[in-house]
Amino acid sequence: MAKNTQQSSQTIKQEREARRLEKVEAFKKQQARERRNRRIGWISGIVGGLAVLALIVTVVVVNSVPKPDPATITIEGLQEFPDITGGGHVDVNADGTPVDPAPNVDYQVQYGMNPPAGGDHWAGWLNCGVYSEPQQNERAVHSLEHGAVWVTYDPDALSASEIESLVDKLPDTYIVVSPYPGLSAPVVASAWGAQVKLDSLNDARLGDFVTKYWKSPTAPEPGALCTGAIDGPGKIS
Amino acid sequence: MAPERSHSRIRSVAAALIVVALVGVGAFAIGRLSTSFSGTPSNTSAAAGFARDMQVHHDQGVELALIIRDGSGDEELRLLAYDIATTQANQSGQMQGWLNTWQLPQAAPEPAMTWMTRPTLDGAAHGHGGATAHAPGDPMPGLATSAQIAELKGLTGPEAEQLFLELMIAHHQGAIDMADAVLARTDIRVVTELATTIRDSQSSEIEYMTALLARY
Repeated sequence: MAKNTQQSSQTIKQEREARRLEKVEAFKKQQARERRNRRIGWISGIVGGLAVLALIVTVVVVNSVPKPDPATITIEGLQEFPDITGGGHVDVNADGTPVDPAPNVDYQVQYGMNPPAGGDHWAGWLNCGVYSEPQQNERAVHSLEHGAVWVTYDPDALSASEIESLVDKLPDTYIVVSPYPGLSAPVVASAWGAQVKLDSLNDARLGDFVTKYWKSPTAPEPGALCTGAIDGPGKIS
Repeated sequence: MAPERSHSRIRSVAAALIVVALVGVGAFAIGRLSTSFSGTPSNTSAAAGFARDMQVHHDQGVELALIIRDGSGDEELRLLAYDIATTQANQSGQMQGWLNTWQLPQAAPEPAMTWMTRPTLDGAAHGHGGATAHAPGDPMPGLATSAQIAELKGLTGPEAEQLFLELMIAHHQGAIDMADAVLARTDIRVVTELATTIRDSQSSEIEYMTALLARY
């Protein structure tokens, strides 16, 4: 009996020990599972958070770069001449014959602008390009009608290297660059119906003016060629 | 024990699905939104770059064609020049119109050809098929120099015709290069349709001009 009791109590002890181990094992497993779940939670949280962050950053970046809609660009000191509705060819008679000599247009008197930024002009436009000599107003105005921007500079204000760097800032086509003696500012940029006087060739308004008006739909005939007509005197390129 | 286990499995699966969905949405958004939010191309997109550079390219095509139409007595060549001038003037106007419709300036915010150096839609760095690599600000492929244009203006008869054909074949080849480049970089229909037209019609025109050139 005693032996039996000893035996059975031994068995009970073993069983208890086994059960305890089993519980410990189960507890450890549960802990491991929880740790794993926590880890999954953290990782998915971080990855998800990063994805959301990337989405937000992208939206912000895309929307913080507004489209530079030319119509909404404002330029300080911009002069507009909305009254010019179209330009006639003043060197051609009603029957199509050329007027000889071709009459000049007084842009200062007729439109209040100097240099001209649109208005009546001659039938032959000035081929776009860089010129070292002053150009005929009545030809350059016709180029403005085709969407060109005419950049005039005071030859007394700009050095040769400054003129070169001015040209470098401009598009290769639909641009006329020429000296304009007696200009009221170092540089004046003109398009059809708009003009801005610039303090220097580094004036940031030059870029804004080109962005707003170069080949602009506000010109009467944008996209009509600025080649194939008259090369003025002193054409460099 | 059993319900707890299935619970945690559901949680894991749900978490994994959320992660996959978020990463997918994020990647899609980054790809899509970087082009534009409003559905029209951005100022530095390939579509806008192509619309600007191809106008310059086409306008020179018109100029060259009109020079030879004035300078040649060969009726076949004069008709080809008429065809090229009217086609390219029309196409140039279409591209001008796109930019206006997209409310973008005609003036480029960065040097010409920059758009051709950007990654393609399939992610390749420079995969438009052309063998030549372009750097921002490079002259456009196939564009005649002002010296070549002056030379063409100075010639008459067969010499002018021959130079015109040589210049225009190179010009067309460059345009095909640019069309391929934009086809690899945009899926805007109005752009891909015109680019495909340019590529196909100028390819066959190259064959025609090569045959004409063989006569000289």
